[in-house]
Amino acid sequence: MIEIEHLTKRFGETIVVDDVSLTVDEGTIAVFVGTSGAGKSTLLRMINRLIEPSSGRVLIDGQDTMAIPEDDLRHRIGYVIQGYGLFPHRTVIENIATVPRLLGWDAKRIAARVEELLDLFQLDSAEFAAKYPHELSGGQQQRVGVARALAAKPALLLMDEPFGALDPVIRHKAQEDLLAIQRRLGTTIMLVTHDMDEAFHLGDRIAVMDQARLLQYATPAELLTRPAEEFVERLVGTAERPFRLLSLARVKDAIEPGPSQGEPLPVSATLREALSQLVWTGRESLPVTDASGAILGRISIDGILAHGRQPA
Amino acid sequence: MRAGPVLWRLAALVLLLVFITKPQLFAFVFEPLTINNAPAIYNQGSLFSLTLAHLGTVFSAALASTIIAVTLGIFVTRPSGLEFLALSRSLVNIGQTFPPIAVLAIAVPLVGFGEKPTLIALFLYGLLPIFENTLSGLTQVSPLTLEAAKGMGMSPRRRLIEVELPLALPVILAGIRLSVVINLGTATIGSTVAAKGLGEVIIAGLQSNNMAFILQGGLVVALLAVLISDALMSVERFAARKLGQAPS
Repeated sequence: MIEIEHLTKRFGETIVVDDVSLTVDEGTIAVFVGTSGAGKSTLLRMINRLIEPSSGRVLIDGQDTMAIPEDDLRHRIGYVIQGYGLFPHRTVIENIATVPRLLGWDAKRIAARVEELLDLFQLDSAEFAAKYPHELSGGQQQRVGVARALAAKPALLLMDEPFGALDPVIRHKAQEDLLAIQRRLGTTIMLVTHDMDEAFHLGDRIAVMDQARLLQYATPAELLTRPAEEFVERLVGTAERPFRLLSLARVKDAIEPGPSQGEPLPVSATLREALSQLVWTGRESLPVTDASGAILGRISIDGILAHGRQPA
Repeated sequence: MRAGPVLWRLAALVLLLVFITKPQLFAFVFEPLTINNAPAIYNQGSLFSLTLAHLGTVFSAALASTIIAVTLGIFVTRPSGLEFLALSRSLVNIGQTFPPIAVLAIAVPLVGFGEKPTLIALFLYGLLPIFENTLSGLTQVSPLTLEAAKGMGMSPRRRLIEVELPLALPVILAGIRLSVVINLGTATIGSTVAAKGLGEVIIAGLQSNNMAFILQGGLVVALLAVLISDALMSVERFAARKLGQAPS
């Protein structure tokens, strides 16, 4: 669990982060959004003390980060930045092994861990192990960057615009991969982005920052239905609101009994995907199946639309 | 590298080696340049040992320049040394602007004739290219890479040794090459203060009005400079390739 208490950063007269307090639960993803210069990156960098806070403190599992020597602290926190900062003079293997090597793991343990990570990130070790970063595509570099950050099994992963340099198709895939890996490892993630779709896609909770202040820290659904300030409302995009709500809910939330015709939808699909399928096929409803293919009921346009409506 | 240039270099190296070990074989080339039956080939010492002495002087001076200039370059790019940047720059610049011959004139009364004043002059003259290249090599390391290194908990020392210096290496090597090549030529003036070296041949030629001697000394120095510059350049290319930079 990460507890941020009254964290503030001043550079001379300018306040970059103004009295921010929030808690990130173990194993969840907190996404920080806001305009550029809102203080998101500074906040993130105060957690691994790349920037020293002016006041306030950060507790990781109850331990004050100021009580831990800064290099030791950083060995325990994964850090991924936009552009990744891979070492150009080191191979993929050597890059991933950076923190375990700093920690003095023995060669066998390092090799086993690197192998495990290459596997996890779908990088064929025979093909990629000895390559240098400039021989990799953007998507591969990104995966090596995240693998390197996770090498020493950190409980917390800080990510500053980790998908910013990827084209949209690869970006979506990379987000899916990150979610899958996060669920598998249970890593707590704090991620900075200015892409609202990314925030809603990845975040268990979203922190909205503007002009150094934290305006709202809530679940994606709350952010949409009960925005704390006008700025939050504008940032989430009023035109996008119902669709975002629909992508947060699943078919199982709107399933109704009764028969229907057509290509069945999986119960795990989002309501947005279901709606788009209904619109595309021109039907009023479609059958719903579970993973084994058994029919569970049906989903209708009216049932879906009710979920995208403004709460009373 | 293509085979053609390699063969040319190999041929030049063989020519040089044969010439400095068996110069008499080439006497017929230089005879037309002599007058009054003067000797066509330098006869007051072995060209081979003069070449070795010349190289010895240049490389000792380059080694000293490298150690001092790289250390200084590292120091002034650390947070604690930043304020000495301007001062170090002007000191090193003085070393370059002060003519080596003037350094000899000042150094001889202090350290005597021979190799020492030459070493001092070459050392000072060779500092600037290495220092400037160390600075630009270290400052051009991507801030992203450094941020990542710091964020992963690398200490400043490790960042320097494992990240900054390896990444700056091709540029630093280019500085060393420049310094060595400049000093291969400059070292000839050492012979005016009785340092052993190829300058002896040239000066002997000037004193006895023997064009053959002047040409011999000059050619050996020029060939040395070309070959050594080439060799150091391939070391640079090798280092740069390891970093994934396009070979220049």
